[in-house]
Amino acid sequence: MSGIEGGGGGGGIEGGGGEAGGGVPGARRFWAVRRVPAFLVAAVVLGAAGLLLYDVAAVRAHRPAMEWRRRLAHELATRPLGDGWVVGGAVVAVVVGLWLVLLAVTPGLRSVLPMRPGRADLRAGIDRRAAALVLRDRAMEVSGVQSVRVKVGRHRVNVRAQSHFRDLDDVRADVKGVMVEGVRKLGLAREPGVSVRVGRPAKK
Amino acid sequence: MLKGVNRVLVGAAGVVLVGLGAAVLVGSLDLQRRWGLTLPSAWPFDGPRDVLLSRAAQTKWRGEGWWWPAVIAGLGVVVLLALWWLLAQVRRRRLRELVVDCGDGEEAVLRGRALEEAVCAEAEAQEGVERALVALLGRRTAPEARVGLTLAPHASPAVALSRLDGEALEHARVSAGVGRLPVEVRVRAVRHRAERVG
Repeated sequence: MSGIEGGGGGGGIEGGGGEAGGGVPGARRFWAVRRVPAFLVAAVVLGAAGLLLYDVAAVRAHRPAMEWRRRLAHELATRPLGDGWVVGGAVVAVVVGLWLVLLAVTPGLRSVLPMRPGRADLRAGIDRRAAALVLRDRAMEVSGVQSVRVKVGRHRVNVRAQSHFRDLDDVRADVKGVMVEGVRKLGLAREPGVSVRVGRPAKK
Repeated sequence: MLKGVNRVLVGAAGVVLVGLGAAVLVGSLDLQRRWGLTLPSAWPFDGPRDVLLSRAAQTKWRGEGWWWPAVIAGLGVVVLLALWWLLAQVRRRRLRELVVDCGDGEEAVLRGRALEEAVCAEAEAQEGVERALVALLGRRTAPEARVGLTLAPHASPAVALSRLDGEALEHARVSAGVGRLPVEVRVRAVRHRAERVG
């Protein structure tokens, strides 16, 4: 977090509010709303409770209970716990439950990298794919680079370039320099490390 | 707000499922005898021969006068809460209008859609921005904004962001008359082919 207002002659634009540091709320990760799991859980609860409510009310109104309810009561009362279906159901319940707990406590949105906040009430994040595109375009500008693949992970940027002329070590050094600079100019709250590999294209 | 509700309820559902499943498994695999667990005396399952819910347990409360009304009331509450929760997932709470303090004791009402469109147009006019999506959320007196920014090829994300903050968002803050407009920005990029510049 030291070289924030560097930017190499960019007019200090990307420095923005400069000394933001890590304590500003904008640097936190983005937390998903978990709309889909919530929708599914709500739908299941609504369906089950609604159906049961309907049937209980129907029985209270002196109409016969639905077949599934008699069947369910019968199965609950006769099937022993050691039965395969019961064990299987319990295992499924534990697995699904653990999955839901995991969804509830993890942030999600792993594809979004938080950007350095310019001000306290502005939170920004960039898609990892977008960051990769930006870095790829910059790497293509290095002379000697014929093609390049950039993968932006959450902690590391992997660059694989193919060079058709110039010395490989020179190209590697140039690409590395451009990538480090490029990562800094992305304005990320937490800058990932950069690893670069350069090779010759395969002979046709 | 919805984020917190969703996470608490989804987590609670998970804990309930894990608890029930684990309790049944303890009985199914006879763990209380095999591992010598000491379980409370009210523990419902006693070994693999036991059943999930015996006839006696099913009819235990049936004779009481309050049982069925209580069951119906409880289920009704659960149904209503689940319905509200379900609808909250699909409802988008766009801000329809916001209140602008004119400074002279008067208040004006600004259409949310108008401000969204103004910010969006200004952001899209910005160099390096291909598309912008702007949504106002929050309350009439305390609006919040979500911005989706799609960058054109060869644009710099940090420059685009700080320019958005300094121009479009700043104008929105001024015209809405709010000192604080919390904004969340998601930056994306249009997919394009790699091309050699030099």
